[in-house]
Amino acid sequence: MIHFIDRLQICWPIITAMAGADWVGSEIKKLVPGATVEVSDLHGTGDHFHVRVISDSFDGMLPLERQRPILDFFMPHIKSGVVHALDLKCMTEEQARVAGNTVFDPHGEGEKQFMGIHIRRPKEK
Amino acid sequence: MTEFNWTPDELQKIVEENSIVLFMKGTPDAPQCGFSNRAASVVSQLGVPFASVNVLSDPRARNALRDWSGFPTMPQLFIGGKLIGGSDIALELFQNGELQTLAANASGND
Repeated sequence: MIHFIDRLQICWPIITAMAGADWVGSEIKKLVPGATVEVSDLHGTGDHFHVRVISDSFDGMLPLERQRPILDFFMPHIKSGVVHALDLKCMTEEQARVAGNTVFDPHGEGEKQFMGIHIRRPKEK
Repeated sequence: MTEFNWTPDELQKIVEENSIVLFMKGTPDAPQCGFSNRAASVVSQLGVPFASVNVLSDPRARNALRDWSGFPTMPQLFIGGKLIGGSDIALELFQNGELQTLAANASGND
């Protein structure tokens, strides 16, 4: 029930604010100039995103430093509920080559293994 | 039980008094979000005790936490009093072994 109410609150502003994968991608390209940005809309609802940001400008930076400008920009949009989930993967070209597919959908069906991590999920009542 | 109001001082105290703190939706045994589950699974695999704080226990928690930490999403992992990041960073650092090093250094300072 709580989840259902939560969804109602987050879905409404999406319609009005016209958030979406294209908007997320174009804003991130402004924040990390020259980066390759790949946005996955995890549920097709325009509010849960997995984003791969690939740029050699990340070389030598800690993971949180790489995400910082993106997090700062999206903070008000996450607070307002326009963006519900933002799973970021900030990688150098070389890291992206070896990483392969990084998409992680926390609401995918059933239990599953993800990169060696067992995902437990309580059964829907 | 004393009242907890999610003030910056109170939050700071939690991460200073516990070498590893995971702010998450739900608990490690009953996570309420896939990203929190992923982070809890990663931190559990470190094999050392850690504190977890359920941000769904109080409606004030999430906004107070992100204003204090400057990190917008849940979960949030702190080691040695410092923000490490969310579940994506936790997993990345676990896979390259840096999370284990951070945890070992932090618990050594207790």
